[in-house]
Amino acid sequence: MKVQQGCNSSDMGVPVTTEEELRRNPAITPDDVLGLQKITKNYLCSPEENVHMIDFTRFKIRDMETGTVLFEITKPPTPAGGKKQCDPNAGRFVRYQFTPAFLQLRQVGATVEFTVGDTPINNFRMIERHYFRDQLLKSFDFEFGFCMPSSKNTCEHIYEFPPLSEEIMREMILHPYETQSDSFYFVDNKLVMHNKADYSYSGGP
Amino acid sequence: METDISGVSRARVSVLPSAEITTTLRPETERPRCASTPCSPIRGTVTGYQILHMDSNYLVGFTTGEELLKTAHKWSDGTAEKGSGTEAVSSSTQSTISKSVDLGIHRSSRILKAKSRSYQPYDVPSANGRRRRRMPSCCDTIHRSFAPSEPGRALHASLPLCLLKGKRAQSKSLDYLNLDKISIKQSSDTEVLQYQLQHLNLRGERVFTRKKT
Repeated sequence: MKVQQGCNSSDMGVPVTTEEELRRNPAITPDDVLGLQKITKNYLCSPEENVHMIDFTRFKIRDMETGTVLFEITKPPTPAGGKKQCDPNAGRFVRYQFTPAFLQLRQVGATVEFTVGDTPINNFRMIERHYFRDQLLKSFDFEFGFCMPSSKNTCEHIYEFPPLSEEIMREMILHPYETQSDSFYFVDNKLVMHNKADYSYSGGP
Repeated sequence: METDISGVSRARVSVLPSAEITTTLRPETERPRCASTPCSPIRGTVTGYQILHMDSNYLVGFTTGEELLKTAHKWSDGTAEKGSGTEAVSSSTQSTISKSVDLGIHRSSRILKAKSRSYQPYDVPSANGRRRRRMPSCCDTIHRSFAPSEPGRALHASLPLCLLKGKRAQSKSLDYLNLDKISIKQSSDTEVLQYQLQHLNLRGERVFTRKKT
């Protein structure tokens, strides 16, 4: 398993884009989403566009300084003909309730396990953008590389959190779920998946 | 970047069967706990997922969009389960919007009222027949309104916009929530009310904060 440091895409030289503009494009590329200045209101692709059948089956985050595992979750495989979700978007959204202590962390490692369908995947890449009230906090860019067909893969990404002022941390704590993220997944530079999350930092221990 | 590829064909993962949704999570037994700290649920199951580990020093809640919609659906049907930790404020339909606004007003007024009574979220055993006032600890912060005893409430505070608007995207509509009966204009009102509700709660918190200082 290889660990990759996330590169903070400074978006220098990337043209500013809007969600409305991107919706008019036949395909959405990594450069397109790197130009987004705020969280999207809607998903930029449908669940059906995940033609490579990429399925995340396990997720774990840990503090890189101490090695402390903060959270680990697994998704049992859905049996064939299993229960269908009422709303497909519901499966693409998660909500975290962190404590203020989480904002003190500098490096968090995120291990993700995923399976892929029966076609090879070239240049699998994730761009994740975190916002607080439409202010971009940081953009993360990770590459998974090539994945063999019908394989299960594991990869750890290192999130280097940006330094945040006391004021902005205070605001993030005071306003739960106004910190949000878009996770865009690309295969061969074409958007195939879009997940969303929001975050609270006011949870007590 | 190389990815470790097992090359093993997908096999059924040997995991515990995912239980039904439980929004009330059980506390970890090994966590030290002081007298003023209530039980903090940190592990459980969420629809379609099994939580294997959750360090409550950093993370106290996790939920999915499906869980949030189910809670919103319960509210819209008027069959919210009381006392299960899912007394959430949802605004997926117009009726629930009104209810959630009412709850928001009620919550902020409750905070103000509690403040005037030297609000203490936990009962302190009386001594010598007199009720002891809980001394503020170093952990009492401005976000007290999100009481640790109500993680379910805070977690389900409001539906994210992407779920409310999911109907307009390519995905299937949230027909079972009767959202199709809400016109575009009404959905704007939904957003306005949600925004107002958030600010109602915040006003309550700010007043509480000033009093603390």
